[in-house]
Amino acid sequence: MAAGPYNYSYIFKYIIIGDMGVGKSCLLHQFTEKKFMADCPHTIGVEFGTRIIEVSGQKIKLQIWDTAGQERFRAVTRSYYRGAAGALMVYDITRRSTYNHLSSWLTDARNLTNPNTVIFLIGNKCDLEAQRDVTYEEAKQFADENGLLFLEASAKTGENVEEAFLDTARKIYQNIQDGSLDLNAAESGVQHKPSSPRGTQLSNDQPANKEGCAC
Amino acid sequence: MEEVINDIVDPEDLKKFEKKYNKELVAGHITTNTQFEYAWALTRSKYGNDIKKGVGLLEELFQQGDEQTQRDYLYYLSIANFRLKDYEKALKYCRAILHVEPRNHQAMEMEKLIKEKMAKEGLLGMAIVGGVAAVALGGIAALGFAVSKGKS
Ligand SMILES: Nc1nc2c(ncn2[C@@H]2O[C@H](COP(=O)(O)OP(=O)(O)O)[C@@H](O)[C@H]2O)c(=O)[nH]1
Ligand SMILES: [Mg+2]
Repeated sequence: MAAGPYNYSYIFKYIIIGDMGVGKSCLLHQFTEKKFMADCPHTIGVEFGTRIIEVSGQKIKLQIWDTAGQERFRAVTRSYYRGAAGALMVYDITRRSTYNHLSSWLTDARNLTNPNTVIFLIGNKCDLEAQRDVTYEEAKQFADENGLLFLEASAKTGENVEEAFLDTARKIYQNIQDGSLDLNAAESGVQHKPSSPRGTQLSNDQPANKEGCAC
Repeated sequence: MEEVINDIVDPEDLKKFEKKYNKELVAGHITTNTQFEYAWALTRSKYGNDIKKGVGLLEELFQQGDEQTQRDYLYYLSIANFRLKDYEKALKYCRAILHVEPRNHQAMEMEKLIKEKMAKEGLLGMAIVGGVAAVALGGIAALGFAVSKGKS
């Protein structure tokens, strides 16, 4: 959408995964628009959102793919995992079943992304304390055991939403700095954009041709 | 939104879904899921013929679908027709979703993008005429009667 010369030096690809109804689309919307969508219909397939953030003085463009949680979309949404630098894995703290399914989501994420992909666990809807069905402690333990970053958040109030997206980016950036993430690897999920003179097209923003199809 | 439309399927994935589809075709029973996966992959192909084939499969699925899945098929039909540059059809499918779910933001974004594209290509006048006729959601046939066929 943004046109003109690059005003960022990196692109990080994210995916958001987890059961249907846990608040993935609302988290994305809260992060990109700073608004809560009260009653949004279920996502059809995949959605896309983008925002430019700053980490250690570097402008980073996040390209975020939000996937539908329904089983019938799963085979296809899996193809979006490839080349993700960050994965936000979401459950709903008021619905235990969404927490119980995390190991299946995690298996998918581990199998389909690269070893350096930063996986961030989000316990969403923490504004609904009275309906809590999963304790902070057990989720934290699950996260620690599996090497995941973890926060409870609320797409409704906005609590910890920025933090989750930004902490993921900080961790990815740190992996770049210490050399553990190889930018030249095909599926690192990170593109480096050396600051270029005005007039450079943004088209290689997208791997594919700009017009969509070559028909 | 543009990113979703411009996203190209990995050829390996397309092959994988095609294989699964053909296997079931030979066995004589194609599951809805297999057909949908293959159709979705086809509509994300680089090649117009693949996309057209995907449209055919989606239209079949639409006929058999329930309300929820029909909405999904309409959305992909809209995207596929956009990719085929048949913006009028793309708009019709998109509006059919909005007719049922006026606040569906994926469809709203899609409609906006189609309109921008049509405005750029000087097609918007036709679209407005077409839009009046296109609101009824009664099946593909009802959606298919075009006021004027898009250039394709
Ligand atoms: N109370 C509360 N409701 C939320 C929150 N996030 C999402 N919801 C609601 O949960 C439902 C599902 O959200 P959605 O983003 O569509 O879930 P998705 O299927 O994971 O994308 C919607 O009705 C939202 O309004 C939250 O943080 N707090
Ligand atoms: Mg969603």
